[in-house]
Amino acid sequence: MAAPIIAGMTATASRKGTLQELRRLAVRWGAGWWRIVHFASLMLVLALSPSSYHRANRAAMARHLYLGTAPILPWFAVLSALISLVVIRIVVVTALSYGLSRYALEMVVRVLVLELIPLTAALFVALRCTLPHGGEISALRLSGRLDARRAQGLDPMQQEVLPRIAAGVFAVVMLAAVSSVVTLVLAYLSVYGFTGGGFAAYTRTVGRVFGPAVTLIFALKILFLGLAVSVIPIASVLYDAPRAGSKTSAELQALVRMFLVILLIEAASLVGNYY
Amino acid sequence: MNQEDPQPAAAPPVANVEFKAALLLALMVLLVCGAVLYVMYARGAFEATQKLVLVAEDAEGVMVGMDLTFSGFPIGRVRSIELGPDGNARIIIDVPRQDAHWLRSSSVFTLVRGLVGNTSLRAFSGILTDPPLPDGAERKVLVGDATAEIPHLVSAAKELVQNLTALTASDSALAASLGNVRTLTGRLSGPGGVLGAISGNDADAKKLATVLDRTNALLARIDGIAAKADAQLLGPQGVVPESRATVVQLNALLGDARNTLKKVDGVLQEAQAIATNARVATTDLDLLRAEVETSLRKVDRLVDEVNRKWPFKRDAEMKLP
Repeated sequence: MAAPIIAGMTATASRKGTLQELRRLAVRWGAGWWRIVHFASLMLVLALSPSSYHRANRAAMARHLYLGTAPILPWFAVLSALISLVVIRIVVVTALSYGLSRYALEMVVRVLVLELIPLTAALFVALRCTLPHGGEISALRLSGRLDARRAQGLDPMQQEVLPRIAAGVFAVVMLAAVSSVVTLVLAYLSVYGFTGGGFAAYTRTVGRVFGPAVTLIFALKILFLGLAVSVIPIASVLYDAPRAGSKTSAELQALVRMFLVILLIEAASLVGNYY
Repeated sequence: MNQEDPQPAAAPPVANVEFKAALLLALMVLLVCGAVLYVMYARGAFEATQKLVLVAEDAEGVMVGMDLTFSGFPIGRVRSIELGPDGNARIIIDVPRQDAHWLRSSSVFTLVRGLVGNTSLRAFSGILTDPPLPDGAERKVLVGDATAEIPHLVSAAKELVQNLTALTASDSALAASLGNVRTLTGRLSGPGGVLGAISGNDADAKKLATVLDRTNALLARIDGIAAKADAQLLGPQGVVPESRATVVQLNALLGDARNTLKKVDGVLQEAQAIATNARVATTDLDLLRAEVETSLRKVDRLVDEVNRKWPFKRDAEMKLP
């Protein structure tokens, strides 16, 4: 009789252990997201407080702003122009073959400017700018420089973290703005050619696409995508406990969280635009 | 560990970084402001508009922001759609003032829903000299709906198919008629032929054949009579040649009569001339008579004068012894 009782007790204990493990994971998952939200709020407060723009901080911010945007802007503009040109051509030719050419321009503007360009800009900035920023912050934290700054009475958040976050958001907005303008110009040239005759009709189409709600959703989408790709990598490396091989693990976790948030923002914008 | 640190400060310094950052910021502000202004311009925020209300029974397919077109050109934009107190949809359209002159008080507005593609609002102005449409005008919109016809079409087609099914059923009138036709064709190809088919039985068909034979004989006799009548009429001693000779004679007689009449005519002309002469002579006689009378009167007066002046009055008194 003793053996089955012991076996039953073992099974119950293991089930309890699994439950505890699950609860621990859920708490850690929730805590991780809470830390990200808290960090984002902290950064927002810092960004809105004038003390963040003192002379010393301003120099760091200008440097990050420039280094985060200027090197990738021309490449991204060229790449997005090429991809836009291909997509515009495909859409226009296909629409023409189905006899729906009057809807081609609206579709181009919707698909490219509203949907593809913000997403591409956010991913491009994440890969070229904000994920490396996360690595830098992680290195600073592991080397103890952040604590050293804090010990000196300086705020490392204002000097090291906020400029990188601001640079990330700025880069996303800048890249999206430039490539949207380039795409709009390319769409006009592809459909009407090098003539000014179609400007009124084109403006009308753009006006029809960019209704108040759509414009608001578009602006919010770019802003939130910028915040997501800037905040999540840094927040993940800043707060997650360092473990064995922690650097890689934290960055990977940041990447997964970032993609999840990007997906959510994209889904929310689609729901807002089309439902 | 510090030796392996990626030191952010070790990144290469950038000259005039603040200026460059400011340039980037300025570029972004410029782009964003430009985009906002362009979108506002595209949405018609900077142009004066007038309101037009189109009332439709059903506003399905109409969307805020869609165009009102005139001759294919967009001249207005739907601002809002609302349900009126009478249950009709009120489509409120902003028409820019510079395009409002295309809309006249006699303009007609249509709402067309295609099978494929968007619903479209169109304006038609037949008489462009009519007074312009006032601001806030309210007009009924004519609805032309291609898809609305489909249910009617389907029900009509269903009815048609039901009728066809009823027509072609085994116990239908058409089938019975076809059976009768078959019986008829059977009779046609039978011994009585068409006559049998028409009369319905063989006895009547035989009677009809007899009637036909007798009719033939009758026709042969009528033919003989006709030949005789022909000879009477047109033969050498027939009525027609005689009549022709009579006509020739009559013709000659008429010619003589015409000559006689001509002569009478000449006589009459001469008589007329005589009468004219007589009339002239009568006129002359009148003159002569007048002259004679005048001469007599003069002689009378002369005698009277001589009698008065003659010294020797003749004693005309005769004394009887």
